[in-house]
Amino acid sequence: MIVIRKLRVLLLLPIFGGVALGAILFSGQAMAEKVTLDPSLWGHPAGEACVSCHAKASAGLTDQWRESAHQAAGVNCMDCHQADRADVDAMEHEGQIIATIVSPKDCGRCHDKEFEEQRGSVHAEAFAIIETRLPALADNVGGPAMRSASCDQCHGSQVKVRGDGTLDSATWPNSGIGRINPDGSKGSCSACHGRHRFSKAQAREPDACVRCHSGPDSPDKEIFEASKHGMIYAAQRDDMHLAADAWIAGRDYTAAPTCVTCHMGGAGKLPASHDVGMRNVWSLNTPVSERQYLVVFEDGAKMELPESAEIPKRGSELTRPDGSLGTVKVVATPERRRQAMSMVCLECHGKGFTQGFMAQLDGVVGLFNTKFAEPAKTIMQGLYTEGLLTPTPFDEPIEFTYWELWHDEGARARHGAAMMSPNHAWWEGMYLVGRNFYARFLPEARAAAGFKSVELVDTVLDAQGPHQWLKDPNRANPILGFGGEEAD
Amino acid sequence: MRTWGVSLVITRHVLIALVIGGLGGLLVMAFLIELDHATSRSEFCTSCHSMRFAEQTYQASLHFDSPSGVRASCGDCHVSPGLMAATWDHLVGLRDLFKEFFGPDYADPAVNLLHLPEAAFSAREWFRKRDSATCRRCHTQEAILGERANTAAIHREEAEGKTCIDCHYNLVHRRVPDEQTFKRDAWNAMVEEEMGLEPGEAARLLEGPGSGCGEP
Repeated sequence: MIVIRKLRVLLLLPIFGGVALGAILFSGQAMAEKVTLDPSLWGHPAGEACVSCHAKASAGLTDQWRESAHQAAGVNCMDCHQADRADVDAMEHEGQIIATIVSPKDCGRCHDKEFEEQRGSVHAEAFAIIETRLPALADNVGGPAMRSASCDQCHGSQVKVRGDGTLDSATWPNSGIGRINPDGSKGSCSACHGRHRFSKAQAREPDACVRCHSGPDSPDKEIFEASKHGMIYAAQRDDMHLAADAWIAGRDYTAAPTCVTCHMGGAGKLPASHDVGMRNVWSLNTPVSERQYLVVFEDGAKMELPESAEIPKRGSELTRPDGSLGTVKVVATPERRRQAMSMVCLECHGKGFTQGFMAQLDGVVGLFNTKFAEPAKTIMQGLYTEGLLTPTPFDEPIEFTYWELWHDEGARARHGAAMMSPNHAWWEGMYLVGRNFYARFLPEARAAAGFKSVELVDTVLDAQGPHQWLKDPNRANPILGFGGEEAD
Repeated sequence: MRTWGVSLVITRHVLIALVIGGLGGLLVMAFLIELDHATSRSEFCTSCHSMRFAEQTYQASLHFDSPSGVRASCGDCHVSPGLMAATWDHLVGLRDLFKEFFGPDYADPAVNLLHLPEAAFSAREWFRKRDSATCRRCHTQEAILGERANTAAIHREEAEGKTCIDCHYNLVHRRVPDEQTFKRDAWNAMVEEEMGLEPGEAARLLEGPGSGCGEP
């Protein structure tokens, strides 16, 4: 009891305007938010005609809608697809002015809470974050056709409306989660909520995430499935109550967690949020992981800020990634974000268990940083500074090696540890990081450095304790089938 | 002779006048029919340079190349059925001829494309006013079966109060949005990008050196 009270005091401790922060991280209704809009504002009179024709013209789409909660509530095609004739992507269709794309802003007419939460999240910013980096891989290594077929499928496209009112097929169809919509809003609700049924149960399934969170750089599907969480989920899926109205972990279900449970879902007193990255302490997809602040601006936008940066004060102005200035409303510290995530864990696990697990994760991230990520970054920086590598990425083999070291293998190791797949943490992750580092990266770095390799490579390694074992070439070990017997 | 009053009216001169008038009328009718025939042919329409853009899109359309071999000419769609109506349409068409000579340089692809939307809007309005009469020359709504399931049902049950052009526009010629959602700035930007023009040049071309020459 005392522990719980202590925890509660800790959680409610005001830090940097903690009241507002509490509102963002910890308070709010624990129930799924109900739409507050007056029901007289939906049920567009023209909607019936849409259904009558589309039941014939595109029966699958109409059937999906017929089985939806939207249909049950009287929300029809026009309620979501209606447009103003001045809208960039507005078009005339059978006497109505509509738009094909229903943006988060459109959904937000009713689902305002979810719209505000996802605004500025890593999901909504998924395209904006990588926009300037995109050409190096998408255009140079790949080609423009790959953008629409792959990059944009997950990160979202910047939808282009042509002068004749059509949507440019290079950018549409697209339901990438960071899509830049014609109305300027970012995101795509249908990235996770399959249209036109918009089933709660479907969005709560781990499968809602796998289209993007799978594969070599973020194998979260594979990690989840290989974890104890995934194992129990598969066995006890029938007890998950996935279609329930309210879906609070620890109250409405306890069988197992899904992706949503930990990253978005309500758990005990922790409210659900459509800001998917809010509970993440670490950046796990960067060359070097950093613990990060979550900065919330007055206008609702959000930004991640590494712990090494200066902590912005409430009310101060900060330049955002898109170049605009924002006034800081609240800042969530990494500790605070971990508390939020831990609240989910605590619904099923003890406090010591939870803290122990977090320490294990931090250990893996710390190891990756100090042993591989930081030295590799220093070595690469040296090669660029000395002009031994051209500034253009991926025109030298070592750039692929370095990229995969942190973006693929390093991410797998870190994600594997964060979500408890031992295989991904080691064999698919840190083992490959090590193999890459020792057997590819270092030889390539030495080759690129030439006569400067002692200065640019070896001194960096020597400064790092973990690599001292390389200095002792005579310590036999039977692992490879040699040397063990002689040692006896 | 006095027994029939009619003979007092039908004098020899009147008879001659009637015969000449009748023959003349027949000749005029024949002339109009031939004129309509000649001026409804695609070859006639596309003899103006400016029409080659419309021709290109037309030739890529199903109305030019249909599996059944039915081919609609320019006039089949754009000249009303019925001799008087057709004659009137040709008379109105003289305005286009005048603009071809004294209006903007429609033979220039950029100028042509810039003026296309207004042309499309007025053509659609023309179809609408006539209840898509020229479509119905070949297409009988009750007989439409279509290739997709339910096409027939849609044309029976969902088309009430609608005329062909309400749904079927942008069929043959280059796509132009509906007038209600048309955005001139976006269209101009598209033309500039497509034709390699400097930003703002489209607006200048639209004003044109020949501005005031009957442009709407």
